[in-house]
Amino acid sequence: MTRNQEHIFDGKPVLQFDNEFDRRNFLRTALIVGVGAGFAGHALGDPTSASRSSAFAGSLATKSLKGDLEILNYALTLEYLEAEFYKLGVKGGAVSGRELELVAPIADHEAAHVTAISTTIRDLGGKAVKKPKFKFPQGTFTNRDKFLTTASTFEELGVKAYHGQVTMIDSPDILAAAASIAGVESRHAAILADLTGGNPFPAPIEANLPMAAVLKAAKPFIA
Amino acid sequence: MQIKRKNFVRGDTTTVPSGVAIGALNNRFGWAKQADFDSDVDVLNYALTLEYLEAEFYRQGNAAGLLSGKEAQYLAAVQKDEESHVSTLMDTVQKIGGQPVAAPAVDFGDAFSSRDKYLTLSHTFENVGVQAYLGAAGFISDKAILQAAAGIFGVEARHAAIVGNLLGLKAEGGVYMGATETPLSEDEVLAAVQPFLAGPEAAGGDAAVTL
Repeated sequence: MTRNQEHIFDGKPVLQFDNEFDRRNFLRTALIVGVGAGFAGHALGDPTSASRSSAFAGSLATKSLKGDLEILNYALTLEYLEAEFYKLGVKGGAVSGRELELVAPIADHEAAHVTAISTTIRDLGGKAVKKPKFKFPQGTFTNRDKFLTTASTFEELGVKAYHGQVTMIDSPDILAAAASIAGVESRHAAILADLTGGNPFPAPIEANLPMAAVLKAAKPFIA
Repeated sequence: MQIKRKNFVRGDTTTVPSGVAIGALNNRFGWAKQADFDSDVDVLNYALTLEYLEAEFYRQGNAAGLLSGKEAQYLAAVQKDEESHVSTLMDTVQKIGGQPVAAPAVDFGDAFSSRDKYLTLSHTFENVGVQAYLGAAGFISDKAILQAAAGIFGVEARHAAIVGNLLGLKAEGGVYMGATETPLSEDEVLAAVQPFLAGPEAAGGDAAVTL
């Protein structure tokens, strides 16, 4: 498989796309979720659009920090999605007993991740993206199977999303923070696979996905 | 609100309040730096020692015939994962010109006398494994190695959660250890696994990994 690399920040590969379709799809999705606006401008070939479109322009010391902030906002978008999903799920009463006991802390974790990542972005002088509006298929929060299957999909996606950014994150501190969150997502993924009759251990090493593929998968849930 | 480190380590924090998580993580990242790794080979050999311990633990444990059904299936899969980690780490050490450490001699005492004892020690090893990888991650300089180590770390977290659930432990502080994982330094990890390392050299810290 040939892989196009977008060289954006001084030749440092920031985004990788499997093909042109993925690249264009990412650009469209990026505009929808408000992530990576700076990337989009560059990719469209307008040398001035980056400074216009970047939410962080002028407030950041280095380009690597800017890249990390983009990744944090990407993570934040996914955490918003998960946090809202579990909040509605716990409220909707789709699960009870031990299943609820296992799912309720996940809702707490995702909410804590949203707070931690937003705070970090602000502490670093960046601007946290706003929570997108989400949409979920009817019955998601009242049907046990639908709820847990969707939860399992989100957790596996979240794991792959974090692991897809490991080599892209510049700051060791941000990397450590992201890793400490990713491990918890792995725990969630395993438990939800167990609850839905799936495989909690799909591979000896976690798989990863680039940003474009993750946003494509998340897009149907963004209103 | 102040969160004490021991509560993090025990997983007693159900939610991490605003702003605490990242700041605390940075502090804990600092604690992990008490460990002493000179190179990627050092870190990988440290991880390899833990993986040897785990792989042998599951080999003996699964051979003891304590489990059945889904539990047996799950623990067989965990054993396979740990064996895969051993070979991945050995290959990687060799690829970057290092010498993989040999497997340590181990002694798990009466861990295989019952299902509960087996799974309880498994739960401990998996959580220590998670914390060891997180504590050592900052010492890895090669990005490709970091990717692999992070990938293994995530799978150890999966093991820990599933075994915790098989034991019927409470969700928070048993299956999950809080909203974020907690790193441990090399010293803390070695202290935790020391009782299971056998042989004359086991008493001497680093020596355990050079058997």
